Amino acid sequence: MADAETPATPQTEDQALAAAIDPKKPTIAVKVYAPFKVYYEGAGYSISAVNETGPFDILPHHHNFLCMLVPCELKIQTPNGEQVIKISRALMHVKADSVTVFVDV
Amino acid sequence: MRRPLEVKAEEAAARSVVSLTSALESISSMQIAKTKNKVLISNQFFDEVWSIYKQIRVDVLFNFGRAIDEKAIDKELLILITAKGGLSGDIDNRLIRKFMEHYDENKNDILVIGHHGTTKLKQSHVEYKYYFDLPEHDYVNVDPLMDITKKYTKSRIFYQNYISLSQQEIKDVDLSDVVSSKGRTADLSTIGDDMVSEKTYIFEPSSYAVAAYLENSILRLTISQFIYDSRLAQVASRFKAMSAAKERSIANVTGLHTEYNRAKRNQVDTRLKESMSGLKKLRAGGAE
Repeated sequence: MADAETPATPQTEDQALAAAIDPKKPTIAVKVYAPFKVYYEGAGYSISAVNETGPFDILPHHHNFLCMLVPCELKIQTPNGEQVIKISRALMHVKADSVTVFVDV
Repeated sequence: MRRPLEVKAEEAAARSVVSLTSALESISSMQIAKTKNKVLISNQFFDEVWSIYKQIRVDVLFNFGRAIDEKAIDKELLILITAKGGLSGDIDNRLIRKFMEHYDENKNDILVIGHHGTTKLKQSHVEYKYYFDLPEHDYVNVDPLMDITKKYTKSRIFYQNYISLSQQEIKDVDLSDVVSSKGRTADLSTIGDDMVSEKTYIFEPSSYAVAAYLENSILRLTISQFIYDSRLAQVASRFKAMSAAKERSIANVTGLHTEYNRAKRNQVDTRLKESMSGLKKLRAGGAE
């Protein structure tokens, strides 16, 4: 009965995200931002984008990588579903399971 | 001495100036908070891009993104970042004074950003070649400006730098110097295993293409950063000017109020004197 009387602790956004992450699936830290706007910041299972060479995906444990993106839809598979961000010009930097996309540079 | 009603009317007008300057001061204060916050956020972004650029730089000769065989105009382009209108304090006057110390009609072409700068140049009888409005929105498209910059061998930028609410300074820097000096700060001895090189990184399409792209990006970001800095300095200068104007108008109202009280007392005294002298005359007439 004590459990019924204990009020449920409200979950913060981070806690909700942590609960949504599948512990068996490796993730990467993703940040997509412009000088004044953060489009996405959080964990992701993969990122898909397009550069001059063609479409490509970034998965966990990817090698260090630096490239210019061409106008495309950046797709991030996150624990809460797919996030799609339209970009016209961006620089992608991948290092140690961390992906940063500098938009409008 | 002026009549009390006349002084009272002037005091009422001065009070409306106090209200107006107070409102403008409040608006400037809000703009500072907003702009400062944005500048801080953008600086974090710029710093991260700079740190990558520092590591990847392969050539200390900054070329404004031009191809090596491209011929440039053998003049120095002077870029002035000024406010879009008046009410910006003395900051634009100071910028124009500094620019005039450097300006040589035969050696320089002028590019002005912000309408106030064109007015100030016309007052100084100086012709400018290019003009752009000062961007109001967060996203600053500096591509048209970069296209012009690329045509010149050298470019110098005159901008306003925010130090504090009460202090803003005018700076002028050689655009290529500022970009290459930031790149030079990270020489090979200061870079460890984190260095971005072909050994440790995959580049697409190629390391040179990425470096060239970054050089353009850095120029774009540098110009944008100067514009954001100038905007912040301008709102701070406007705040300073509005605070000073408010203080002056309050002092003016206080002075006018004192003058009104004096004029009113003087009027009462005069009427009293007239009544007294009338009474005296009446009494003198009654005695006869």
